[in-house]
Amino acid sequence: MAASASWHDPLPLDATSFDYAASPWPIRADLPEANRRAWARLARPGRWWTGAERVALAAEVRAARECALCAERKEALSPFGVDGTHDRAPGGEFLPEVAVEAVHRLVTDPGRLTRKWFEGLMADGLSAERYVEIVGIVTTVISIDAFHQGLGFELEALPAPEAGEPTQVRPDGLSDMGAYVPMIPANKATGPEADLYGGRPFTANVFAAMSLVPECVRQLEELGAAYYLKNEHVVDMKRPSGRAISRPQIEVIAARVSAMNECFY
Amino acid sequence: MLRVSGKNQEPDSAEATPETPGEPAADIALVRDGAAAEQSTVEAATELVAFSEAVFGLDPDEIARTREALEAAVGAEGVVDSAAVAANFQRMVRIADGCGIPLDAPMLAMSEDTRDELSLGEFAASANTPEPGLGMKLAAPLLRRMHPLIVRMARRKPKNG
Repeated sequence: MAASASWHDPLPLDATSFDYAASPWPIRADLPEANRRAWARLARPGRWWTGAERVALAAEVRAARECALCAERKEALSPFGVDGTHDRAPGGEFLPEVAVEAVHRLVTDPGRLTRKWFEGLMADGLSAERYVEIVGIVTTVISIDAFHQGLGFELEALPAPEAGEPTQVRPDGLSDMGAYVPMIPANKATGPEADLYGGRPFTANVFAAMSLVPECVRQLEELGAAYYLKNEHVVDMKRPSGRAISRPQIEVIAARVSAMNECFY
Repeated sequence: MLRVSGKNQEPDSAEATPETPGEPAADIALVRDGAAAEQSTVEAATELVAFSEAVFGLDPDEIARTREALEAAVGAEGVVDSAAVAANFQRMVRIADGCGIPLDAPMLAMSEDTRDELSLGEFAASANTPEPGLGMKLAAPLLRRMHPLIVRMARRKPKNG
């Protein structure tokens, strides 16, 4: 079965998860729905990691926040001058160290990631495909956790992993677009990936960034529609936000968070 | 995206809010200097920025304190939306910098002044974006004028294949 077909398979959603019934604030229904779908997909085998590995990588996202090596590197003038081993999440000892390094750096110091660092991961045996799937996992967990932290909620328990093997299907249409990893440009999103960018003739690099693993792009869009805006509405600054805060207010938050993370893009 | 409109009135919104006095330059400056939010034309910018910074910093007490002020400014539903947007961009920055994507060429050409104003070239990830070529630099004024057309194209529904 093509990996993209599995995206559209029915998801066994846990209706007891992301239960905001006791929330002091009204939570839009699309938010817990998007979170439940993301958690269900997190537990499944992906293209390059098993369900157990994916959930273990998710656990490393949380462990990274308490990692002494990451804290030391964050304070250092250069993170590359600090050696050591990461403080791992319990039960994740089977993950390769290079994958743990990728997770922890993405979580704790994204503003100082470099091509040299990425190439070091590749030299240490992590493939670009497995790396991109890690980026997808990390960023999904980061955003759902940040939503909970912002509202003072406990972090949701990670899902139980599903059995099964990764599909290991590399998509067609990949090009070197100047990033660390190859990406599928909009005019090459065809066949199983024809839905990737909603059929639009062009797309911003940030939406194509993870297209080496197309499910990561689909996850980006699904979560983004609930947390921010639908992709096709992003460029239209005059469109009503459809939220309790206006578009300018939304962009104040977006810009300040991005700048604090030192995100040039 | 950085050139946010100071007006909080949205054309089709059922509940338009009056324009907030302030300095348009502060709308840009607050990106790098949160204190500039006090002069922003965006309503509740001070509270939005404070909450954003708290979510970034992950201090639960600071998050709670700024959230309370934010709720007074934008209401309970606004707090939820704000938390969701902040969370979304904690994700987006890692996608962009984790994958080392360059800034899209048209945006690179159109945003030179803003990027210089905000000293964004100081960010390590700026190394992922090569300088635009002469052609793109010359096209920048035209691209700015074409931005509404670009928006309409982006909104265009895809043809059925």
